[in-house]
Amino acid sequence: MPSTSSRHELSELLAGLASNDWEVKLGALRHMKNKIIGKKDKKLDFVELGAVAAVAKTLSDALNVNGEGNPDNIKNNIIIQSATVLGSFACGFDAGAQAVINAGAFFNLARLLSIQDAKVVDAGARSLRMVYQSKLAPKYNFLQDENMKRLISLLSNENENVSGLGASIITHSCKTTAEQVALCDAGILEKLTSLLEGSISQRDASLESLATILKNNTEVVLKFVENENGRSLDSVIELAKNKYPRTRLLACICLIVIRNTCPSFLQDIGIKAKLVRTLLELLEDPCVGDEAPFAFSSLIAQKEELQRLALEASAIEKLYCQLQKDPLRPKYIEGILLALADMCSMLESCRDSFLKLEVLDLVTKALSHDSDDVCIAACICIRSVSRSVKNLCAGHFMKDTIVTPLVKLFIKSSTAVQVAALGAISNIVVDFTTRKSAFIQCGGLKELVQLSESMDGSVRSNALWALRNLIFLADNKLKEDVFIELKAPLLASLISDPEPFVQEQAMAFVRNLVDGCIDSIEYAFTDDSLILKAIGKQLQSTAKVEIRIQGMYVLSNVAAGKDSHKEAVMNQLLPQAVSIRDQYFVIRFLQSSDSQLRTATVWALLNVTHPRSDPGAFGRYIKLQEVGIITQIKNMINDPCLEVKLRVRTILEKYASFGGSLL
Amino acid sequence: MSLFLFVFRQLAEIEAMATSKKVITREEWEKKLNDVKIRKEDMNRLVMNFLVTEGYDEAAEKFRMESGTEPDINLGTITDRMAVKKAVQCGNVEDAIEKVNDLNPEILDTNPQLFFHLQQQRLIELIRNGKVEEALEFAQEELAPRGEENQSFLEELERTVALLAFEDVSNCPVGELLDMSQRLKTASEVNAAILTSQSHEKDPKLPSLLKMLIWAQNQLDEKAAYPRINDLSSAVLEDPAV
Repeated sequence: MPSTSSRHELSELLAGLASNDWEVKLGALRHMKNKIIGKKDKKLDFVELGAVAAVAKTLSDALNVNGEGNPDNIKNNIIIQSATVLGSFACGFDAGAQAVINAGAFFNLARLLSIQDAKVVDAGARSLRMVYQSKLAPKYNFLQDENMKRLISLLSNENENVSGLGASIITHSCKTTAEQVALCDAGILEKLTSLLEGSISQRDASLESLATILKNNTEVVLKFVENENGRSLDSVIELAKNKYPRTRLLACICLIVIRNTCPSFLQDIGIKAKLVRTLLELLEDPCVGDEAPFAFSSLIAQKEELQRLALEASAIEKLYCQLQKDPLRPKYIEGILLALADMCSMLESCRDSFLKLEVLDLVTKALSHDSDDVCIAACICIRSVSRSVKNLCAGHFMKDTIVTPLVKLFIKSSTAVQVAALGAISNIVVDFTTRKSAFIQCGGLKELVQLSESMDGSVRSNALWALRNLIFLADNKLKEDVFIELKAPLLASLISDPEPFVQEQAMAFVRNLVDGCIDSIEYAFTDDSLILKAIGKQLQSTAKVEIRIQGMYVLSNVAAGKDSHKEAVMNQLLPQAVSIRDQYFVIRFLQSSDSQLRTATVWALLNVTHPRSDPGAFGRYIKLQEVGIITQIKNMINDPCLEVKLRVRTILEKYASFGGSLL
Repeated sequence: MSLFLFVFRQLAEIEAMATSKKVITREEWEKKLNDVKIRKEDMNRLVMNFLVTEGYDEAAEKFRMESGTEPDINLGTITDRMAVKKAVQCGNVEDAIEKVNDLNPEILDTNPQLFFHLQQQRLIELIRNGKVEEALEFAQEELAPRGEENQSFLEELERTVALLAFEDVSNCPVGELLDMSQRLKTASEVNAAILTSQSHEKDPKLPSLLKMLIWAQNQLDEKAAYPRINDLSSAVLEDPAV
């Protein structure tokens, strides 16, 4: 809500703008400029009260007037001041940029670039640059010839605001591979490289643009690296040692983009160590902004060697040290947490270091932060650290201080937050020492089951994943509690869920549920074998190999039980409605190129026919032989997968005496 | 021989010294100094750099005419920058802000810390002039929002507002805010920001050279006894302690 003083101030200024006296207009513009620069709250108020439209109109009028009765220099001054005011509204402020665009001022600002007055061009370029820093600026079409020519002329201009504008346009609008290639072909890389030797702002703008053009495009990266025998790349490497922190950061980001796109470049250990050290040092620099931790993440993510280098450079300690500072901007906290998550994603040594320093306490505090993004980052961090099997098994994560805030996040409305919290919980519930009591006691089970009924498919599948981990090797009491909460009908509907990922997790859940002792198998038979039938039905229809594998393991586990269990499995394997040999999914699965599927299927077949001494075993073997499954198995005696080979041979050995042979 | 020449030859000589500790007489030392060649052009550029960075535009212009040394930035921009610096030093902060915005509207829009310090200085000036009501209103309207946008400013904001709580401002715990030194600090910050926006170095080179001399002498002290320069302003050689 705009304040009273803002309303009052603005109405006076608008009156000035509306005056026919150009000196008065000019005065009002300068006053407005001085009122808003540096003040986000004032800009917001003025935008809401319609100031931008008024200034845009002033600019438009001044541009279109004939100049009679008013000297040129006053007209130009009005143009300059209105452009400056519009630029200031757009500076670092999306609502302002949007207002400038909505007021139709964008194209008038562009017109300023062709006026024969250096100060006017400068003001226009500066303002446009501010607009282009916002995502809301209109997209620039590089693929059009005229536009490309215009861009080249902008980049070639001596005025640093004009060339900077060219660079900003590239950073903002270049998104597709085709655009990257078009820019490269038009010689833009060379232009940007020459700007690297320019003023500070030209250098920084150029580094940002280069990173945008090079990102994920191998062809363009190759051209850049080969440009002038590698001198372009050398310039960027030099800039990573520049005394201005922002330049160092942007140069590092550029080098990381090159490395990530073409891993064969920048492999030298010296460069890697330098990048790690520079980014860690930039973390502590307040004027670099919030981007440093994100850049660090992009350097080390998925790369063990770099994580090792970073660990040696005390990365965990440094990140922890930053996290302890107060106050911190939410975006920065998010970056630090994600960086810690990346550090701990692969190496146990990093997780050890993390846990020793007790960083976990601060991270768990972040779970209650106001910002959703910070909460998500904290969850991802916990998920990474909880990959430490030894600590997981020692029950270090199944604590009230960690579990309770995570379960609280389940209740939040954002699905992204729920999914992130589920990811963390999924690891934590794989705990054998404390019997998952902290989780059960804080009501986590009820929440988890509720999430499995969520409208969002990814929430459902992640909730099932957590449930699946929860009952992994769990005792009967826990399985019973879970099953009572979940209930067979819900489980059956999840097995038949429209989303394949949900089906897969539901199957995996059942696999863990029926695993273990014979009593557990009964779960598959509740409510008239609701679950078993659902699985059989799914196996007949699904085309996804992951779902087939889980389903076969369920059948395999059920078939490890009593005779009646094995018979029930047979009914699923050989449904009545099928008569033609090739329509039996079992045979299709046995013929699959996926070794995991063949293994799971063969296990199921082994379990239904063993032990040989079971009353129904022989009968089941005959049935399998009648429909040609045994023939299929015989073809697999020399299966390339060892596991398959062994199970096949076991089946055939036991029945060798009856007409089967090992040939 | 000019002071500069002396100092620089001293520096060059120390850097060339051998590593064993020995005693060097004044005669020996001066002979070595004389053998070191320093170019006049280099010194002129150092002087010009100093004048320009510190903002002595008239002196810089005169020096340019008399020595033929070209400054590395447009002398016209120095005038504008000096006007801003002077305005802050005189306590006319509002005027200074307007001048900065005329020079380059991006500086204060992209430098929240600098803008906060300028607003803080405005508040200090209002308090100094006894305009208590106006000061309170200003703190509420202009400074409180800055604190909201950036929590790291809150502590300084509280310190400044504390001035209003004391009857005898010059003797209170935060009284140093009223000193001239606070104005100079703010003025220097603005000066540096303008120089950076013009892609110019914000610090002159001369102090670095002098620091280098002091450091080099300290290093050499461990290895030799030689005539030292102890007073930088006179650059007089003092005999080694034997």
